[in-house]
Amino acid sequence: MTELAIILKSLRSRLFLTIITVITVAVSVALMLTLLTMREAGHDAFRRGSGTTHLLVSADSSPLVSVLNGVFYANAPRNPIPWAKYEEIRSRFPWDFAIPTQLGDSYRGHPALATTRDFLEKFQPDPRGRFELASGRFFEAPFEVVLGAEAARESRLKLGATLFLTHGSGGSREGMEGEGEHAHADHEHTEFPYTVVGILEPTGTPHDRLLITDLESTWILHAHDRRHHADHSISTTTSADLLESDRLITGILLRLPTRPGSAVSAGMQQQFDQLRRDTSIVVAQPEQQIDKLFSIVGSIDRLFIAMAAVVMVGGGISILLALASSMEARRRQIAVMRVLGCSQMRIFSLVLTESALLGLLGAAVGITIGLIGCLVTAAILRQTLGLVIEPNPRLHWLVIVAAATVVLAGLAGVIPAAMAYRTPVARNLRPIG
Amino acid sequence: MTTSPSTTPASPRESRDAASAPSALRVAGLRFRYGPGPWIIDLAELSLAPGEQVLLTGRSGSGKSTLLQLIAGLVDPLQGSVEVDGRNVHALSGSARDLFRGQRIGMIFQTFQLLPGFTARENVMLALLFAGRAPREQRERADRLLVELGIERADAAVDELSVGQQQRVAVARAVACNPSLVLADEPTASLDCENAGIAMDLIQESCRRTGAALLCASHDPALAARFTRKVSLT
Repeated sequence: MTELAIILKSLRSRLFLTIITVITVAVSVALMLTLLTMREAGHDAFRRGSGTTHLLVSADSSPLVSVLNGVFYANAPRNPIPWAKYEEIRSRFPWDFAIPTQLGDSYRGHPALATTRDFLEKFQPDPRGRFELASGRFFEAPFEVVLGAEAARESRLKLGATLFLTHGSGGSREGMEGEGEHAHADHEHTEFPYTVVGILEPTGTPHDRLLITDLESTWILHAHDRRHHADHSISTTTSADLLESDRLITGILLRLPTRPGSAVSAGMQQQFDQLRRDTSIVVAQPEQQIDKLFSIVGSIDRLFIAMAAVVMVGGGISILLALASSMEARRRQIAVMRVLGCSQMRIFSLVLTESALLGLLGAAVGITIGLIGCLVTAAILRQTLGLVIEPNPRLHWLVIVAAATVVLAGLAGVIPAAMAYRTPVARNLRPIG
Repeated sequence: MTTSPSTTPASPRESRDAASAPSALRVAGLRFRYGPGPWIIDLAELSLAPGEQVLLTGRSGSGKSTLLQLIAGLVDPLQGSVEVDGRNVHALSGSARDLFRGQRIGMIFQTFQLLPGFTARENVMLALLFAGRAPREQRERADRLLVELGIERADAAVDELSVGQQQRVAVARAVACNPSLVLADEPTASLDCENAGIAMDLIQESCRRTGAALLCASHDPALAARFTRKVSLT
């Protein structure tokens, strides 16, 4: 027999109350841990998402929207940029890279990014490295497509498979047929099958959701729409049919030359200011916009953390109530233990340890729920915002949250422990004489 | 109310035992009352030799239970002293007194006061735990005692045991630490005549076997024949 055995007996004797209390504490721990982890993982993911891009040019309504659409693929940009504008920007400075991008089509909810080979070969989705092929090769001809790791996993497309892109943010074939205007706005380009020629390794960035193809294919798709709308007898379109007005893009990823080992370019501010003078485009510094986004949501962020802290305190109060309410029923037990030689301090420490153990159990269950919660939240963010985050809870957060819970539970146990300490022995032993 | 003990003398054998060892219990000038009322306990002197068995009689409300609680150090007297095994119980404070009680004094209650949810073995082991015995020793000692007292189901929860078996577990717990003194507070009050006899046999025999002195408080006149020495609280 040990003190721990006594405590476990005590907890088991009130099993329902113990389970409810542990669940209450666990939920508060899980909430706190999920918030802290997702906050850090979200920050990391946002920072990582812009890759090695210094500047992002678009025709969106604001730099922040430009970054959300152009880097995180939240929505297809509404306003196009003419190819001539791209040529003008590319030629005005010896960029490290100037990669045109075009967003607007999709496959089963995965955005299709039309671009050049430079996107796969020069742009780094993560400062740690370039795109790597898991299988196949990069696209070399029109209507070839390379799948991001997440897109390949979710679509289950293999090398050599063919697919049709959907005009718009996505939707099933069944959902588009016979729906009038909606079908026109969000229709499938069935005239032009794409062939999967490569599948990328995961990068842990939003780019994993992409289907990456060449610009010319996309221009042909939309030129065909234009031509078919004017003349329904037209059955096919080639690059020879492209007009200058068909050659549209929605974004330009720019990187300035840097010194080896440095991610920062001395000339960036100057180029940024020069580009901003052009009112037909919006220029964004992705990192700056991400910081701005964090400052906007920062107060909400803190509010959530504060709410989670209040919930944790609520968990502590539930321990206090559970133990305090059990004290009346335990007075006789405590009196008998005192008769058997158990000191007041030992009684106090038994109740306090019981309280801390409830906290520890709650923390353990809560951490488990929290880890699952992080994965679920990451999946939801990926589906809804296109934000690919890697929820790896930091060890120091696990330790801090678990320790805080145990300390809080210990503090919550002080009042019941004091009640136990002060239990009058003689009064609680049934008088016989 | 002043309580005056009237005693019958100890037998010659008990007197010899008393001469060769310190008293198991020595009470001197003990006075106690709740608030400003009359004295509930006013006991000039009471001694028990080692192994001596004394019946403490008196009507209900005469202070028998209170006297046992004073002796056990659960209640502090207003005047006087209580020595158990040569140690002044009330001079000890806090955890030292609790530990001393756990090691040197065993208590048996009318309703046994076994801890529900614990097995027979665990109830005995608890007494040994609080007396500072190691877990392995606790288990060996508890099992041996329970076998000696005829408890075969040491792993059964006490709630599942019969009243007679619960009584045996309570006795085993009281003598588990080889106490110098066992205090029994109306141990037969909730039993019929036949079971009361069996229970008293058990208690007295266990005390004899372990060498513990026994102070048994009861208002049951049927127990008088079992004790050569009686102390009456009037």
